[in-house]
Amino acid sequence: MTTEPSTTPRPIYLMLRMKPPWVFVDEIRRFVESFCSCACPGETREAQVALAVHELMQNAIPHAGGESVDLTLQVDPAADRIEIAVSNPATDEQFADFKDRLDRINRAPDPLQSYLRAMAEAPMNQRGGLGLARIRFEAQLELSITREGNRITVLAWGRLRAPQLQVSGDTHV
Amino acid sequence: MSSPSLPNARTPTIQISEEKYSASLHVKPLGTRVQFRCTISTVNPASVLNPFVDQVHEHLLKAGAKDVRVDFTELEFCNSSGFKSFIYWIQKIQAAGDKQYRLRFISSPARKWQRTSLLALSCYSPSAVEIG
Repeated sequence: MTTEPSTTPRPIYLMLRMKPPWVFVDEIRRFVESFCSCACPGETREAQVALAVHELMQNAIPHAGGESVDLTLQVDPAADRIEIAVSNPATDEQFADFKDRLDRINRAPDPLQSYLRAMAEAPMNQRGGLGLARIRFEAQLELSITREGNRITVLAWGRLRAPQLQVSGDTHV
Repeated sequence: MSSPSLPNARTPTIQISEEKYSASLHVKPLGTRVQFRCTISTVNPASVLNPFVDQVHEHLLKAGAKDVRVDFTELEFCNSSGFKSFIYWIQKIQAAGDKQYRLRFISSPARKWQRTSLLALSCYSPSAVEIG
């Protein structure tokens, strides 16, 4: 008996565990962009996925406290889905703060309006305050957070074949 | 970390140069251009970029500029912390009253993140941002 190769593309996984100095974030972003190009030839999501991974990693590293940061990327062409998970250790306070920020971002139905509000409100002389809203609008990914033990996982997911971003007329704040 | 510098009076170039990125102001007869290069991805790039923006903004106000080209063609990536320096710049322009000028961004089609990032900036301030 012979087995015909399946014509349905299977999900593709990438898993990385890092005890990361900050300097590796650029290398990870470049690798993810290249990986997505190979995993989904013909699709145009690689730069958006790489941006999302970069922002999630930069959020995770300061909280990791020397412990590992885990990245899982799943690309499923058949299901038209892409999923990024980044997990890191976090205290109760850090989890609560992160969840609060995420809830505020997700409360706005329009990702662009949420992003524009974050731009207007983010402190200009210190880091933080923009990355999650940027992922939601620019990478066209939904965001959620879960907790297991002392680790939190931020999940970003969306369509692999997302439509090109368009904005209509009077959208500024 | 470096502070913005004015190399000498004959070449009024304001510039910064970090390990991962650089930015510089170029004043030419055909117009002023601010070029960003490489990767803005350090922990808090605003601590370097905002003083640079301050100096460029002052220069443009004194020159009575109506617009400035902001060249991203050699900018590989900019994280959200660095992106805030461009929001900071727009806020300074918005506060400049009748001396306001426009940022004309020149992007690279090969760097696909630039399209969406600049689209968002143009929505933030349609009057101050133009995408070339």
